[in-house]
Amino acid sequence: MAAAAELSLLEKSLGLSKGNKYSAQGERQIPVLQTNNGPSLTGLTTIAAHLVKQANKEYLLGSTAEEKAIVQQWLEYRVTQVDGHSSKNDIRTLLKDLNSYLEDKVYLTGYNFTLADILLYYGLHRFIVDLTVQEKEKYLNVSRWFCHIQHYPGIRQHLSSVVFIKNRLYTNSH
Amino acid sequence: MGFGDLKSPTGLQVLNDYLADKSYIKGYVPSQADVAVFEAVSGPPPADLCHALRWYNHIKSYEKEKAGLPGVKKALSKYGPADVEDTTGSGATDSKDDDDIDLFGSDYEEESEEAKRLREEHLAQYESKKAKKPALVAKSSILLDVKPWDDETDMAKLEECVRSIQADGLVWGSSKLVPVGYGIKKLQIQCVVEDDKVGTDMLEEQITAFEDYVQSMDVAAFNKI
Repeated sequence: MAAAAELSLLEKSLGLSKGNKYSAQGERQIPVLQTNNGPSLTGLTTIAAHLVKQANKEYLLGSTAEEKAIVQQWLEYRVTQVDGHSSKNDIRTLLKDLNSYLEDKVYLTGYNFTLADILLYYGLHRFIVDLTVQEKEKYLNVSRWFCHIQHYPGIRQHLSSVVFIKNRLYTNSH
Repeated sequence: MGFGDLKSPTGLQVLNDYLADKSYIKGYVPSQADVAVFEAVSGPPPADLCHALRWYNHIKSYEKEKAGLPGVKKALSKYGPADVEDTTGSGATDSKDDDDIDLFGSDYEEESEEAKRLREEHLAQYESKKAKKPALVAKSSILLDVKPWDDETDMAKLEECVRSIQADGLVWGSSKLVPVGYGIKKLQIQCVVEDDKVGTDMLEEQITAFEDYVQSMDVAAFNKI
């Protein structure tokens, strides 16, 4: 998904009606936002955090110091690991790590919904859409988390809804 | 439905499998359903039931907001995978289980009573509607031609006389004067009647009774509504 498109999705899910204009910079099309009274902001996670503050939803960036750190960790993960690598093997490793991470957590930070969940959902959507039923069951925790986030009000919008079958077919492939 | 006996390892296993691909017992937000199941579990599930443990810790973090969670707390048997036999009713004799039995019983009765009451209400409404219906049917629109003696006859007075005829089920409509020759005009007047109550012969009788003005009356048109 192009960065500008993702940022406007984020704006809507945060309840902002603004519709900022984003320009792109450099070879890798990094988004840039020109603010009214300050320097321009560069980078997906920078702009995303700025939008969250604009929407008065700072809790989405984490409430305790540890939580804030974890949100930052996953935002960084999204940009470096998910956007950077898209070969089949990389995705598999990524999903495997994410699966074991999510085993004892409902959301990425544990028990609270944050911006990390939103951006990772947007970032992973194009990969999850293509997973086979067997793979979705293999990465059971990722599927559970993804299914949960896509039902969160206002997040999915026009993105296609990924179907996760309730009755597991491949219970032996753990 | 239900998870079986949640105090036993088998029940917890069912819960664990159920929660493997779900964050909450029902839907995508914590609700009274989660509270109900949480209270039925005697403590944190063992570490090897990782999904149940995850869910348990998560719901525990809502300890303070338990009462404010959405939904209505129902009996345990209402939740869980559809193919598991409900064993909350049977088993041990201590008071907690008895409560469960009562919950189950009254819930069920309540629900079917409500459903019954609603159904009867709807039936009653339908019957009353049906009863009213025939009264709406069987109306006709009649166009009458009332002819005077000559061109000297006061047509306004004639119309007044005709309109003065009142009957249950008779409503006068619009009228106009139509010339028939030699300066004579006839009165064409519309009326709507209920067939059961008013007939054309009755109308004719009453109109021709005004002998000073009315020479004759004809039915120009008769349409069923």
